[in-house]
Amino acid sequence: MSRSHLCWIVLVLLLVSGAAAAMLVGAGDLSDAALRERFLVLRGWRLANAFLSGAALAAAGVLVQGLFRNPLASPSLIGTSAGASLGGVAVLLAWDAVLAGALPPWMPAELVLPIGCLVGAWASLAILLGVTGRDAGMITVLLTGFILSSLFLSIVGLLSAFAQERYELGRAVVAFTLGGVESAGPRHALLALPLVGVTAFVALGWCRHLDVLLSGEEEARSLGVDVPRVRRWTIVWAATLTAAAVAIGGNIAFVGLVVPHALRSFVGELHGRLFPAALVGGGAFVVWADVVTRVIPTTSTIPLGVVTGLVGAPVFLVLLARASRKGRLA
Amino acid sequence: MSGGLRVTGLDAAYARGPQVLFGVDLVAEPGRVTALLGPNGSGKSTLLKALVGLVPSTGAIELDGERLGGLDLRDRARRLAYVPQRTQLAARLEVRSVVELGRFAHREVFGRLGDEDAAAVERALDEADVRVLEHRRFNELSGGEQQRVLLARALATGATALLLDEPTSSQDVRHALELHRSLRALAARGCTVLVVLHDLAEVRRHADRAVLLDGGRVRVAGAVGEIVRADHVLATYGVELEEGAGLGYRLPDASAGGDDA
Repeated sequence: MSRSHLCWIVLVLLLVSGAAAAMLVGAGDLSDAALRERFLVLRGWRLANAFLSGAALAAAGVLVQGLFRNPLASPSLIGTSAGASLGGVAVLLAWDAVLAGALPPWMPAELVLPIGCLVGAWASLAILLGVTGRDAGMITVLLTGFILSSLFLSIVGLLSAFAQERYELGRAVVAFTLGGVESAGPRHALLALPLVGVTAFVALGWCRHLDVLLSGEEEARSLGVDVPRVRRWTIVWAATLTAAAVAIGGNIAFVGLVVPHALRSFVGELHGRLFPAALVGGGAFVVWADVVTRVIPTTSTIPLGVVTGLVGAPVFLVLLARASRKGRLA
Repeated sequence: MSGGLRVTGLDAAYARGPQVLFGVDLVAEPGRVTALLGPNGSGKSTLLKALVGLVPSTGAIELDGERLGGLDLRDRARRLAYVPQRTQLAARLEVRSVVELGRFAHREVFGRLGDEDAAAVERALDEADVRVLEHRRFNELSGGEQQRVLLARALATGATALLLDEPTSSQDVRHALELHRSLRALAARGCTVLVVLHDLAEVRRHADRAVLLDGGRVRVAGAVGEIVRADHVLATYGVELEEGAGLGYRLPDASAGGDDA
């Protein structure tokens, strides 16, 4: 059995066991027949949201890493995560200030938040492309993305400070920026599912372009790849997936960075193999991280971003050290 | 004749950089190995890149009677293959996967590798003598081995013209000879081969025609015997040609079929 097959078996087992744990573990007693169905429905939607956000972030990570030919890159490098976060926070504040009274009753906050994330991600993308131009080099795109990311996160910090003046709003903003799927319900999942599904399917068609791009822009071009076009569309798919994930679960750290990097050793570097594995692996990772937030005994809920950060950062450091020892960082 | 590669009045400059090529005229005929010579910085690599469309250029480039300027990138990649001097490919891809990248321009968006693609990849693995490396990781190969894999990737494109930038610079003597034998076999199949070489002795032994570049212009072009001559060498490189000096190499008769050096 190849490492790739073994990896897929492990991924499916992780996902299935994570899903079972997500349904069985958490606040609420399942032995109470009257409440059991209600608990299971709530946990089911939470599970779906955890899977979708993890899958989208890891898939976006594969695309960005392919785009920059850098296995240590992440969607946050091009400022899209920060843009989506800013869009989300801005919508939360706007909701509190004006929108709640002005919007029709069928337009609840949880529906407006994802729209804010999408608008934020797309706006950050438009600014990035506007500043760098269509044929900018990778370094220009990276540096511009980094600067935009810093700018957006500064504005998020500023808005968060304003939000603290009102307790509920402040709590909502902090919960959103730390990340979590505990309050994400069917509306989140039903909005994100087609977005993640369609984008992932279309992006899969670009995986062979990214394979050729591993050879560098000049060689890729000589082999028939329209590099600026691939770069533009890959950024669009990565931005959309990131926005969908941020809309569901806020800023869940390290998923887009760690999952593809860890899977690469098992399924290889070809994007057509890595991308589907990252969808399942990222989903399983966040499902399990969400289970962990429920089993650690605390009086308040542990944000999901804290768990993924605690797991992701050390794993990433190990991978980084290994890559450095093998001279793969140069 | 209209076959092969015909370049007329080619000017080329890097974006926001100085002009490198000035009115280059060049003919590389099918069935022949044409060597591109010249001192460092004379524009040899830039000329190859301009022909592939990697460096902006003006002038006419025709391949087998067709203007390349009007073709999209995929059509161009199916006709003209390029082997760079150094690759940026550092991924842990299997050699076979690298060679399969050569079929990119032939495949549909979600299309799997078809029979024709697979046959081209198999042939390329054999012709570039990398069959034995097929399941090794590209990033773990030596520079010379990587160069042969890149040749295989170029052969897999099925292009009728092959442009190579110093393909023998990292090869040991045996593999350099085998590479020349591969180029000769390609030419014999009717391909157009244009290869940048530095070693003038190598040019004499393995090329049919030569184009001598100097300062971004063609100094002289023609049959190898007329180009690698004391007067041209002195004028271009500022060195005197010493006939009869140096070692010669040849593949053993059993494997070489008479290649001498």
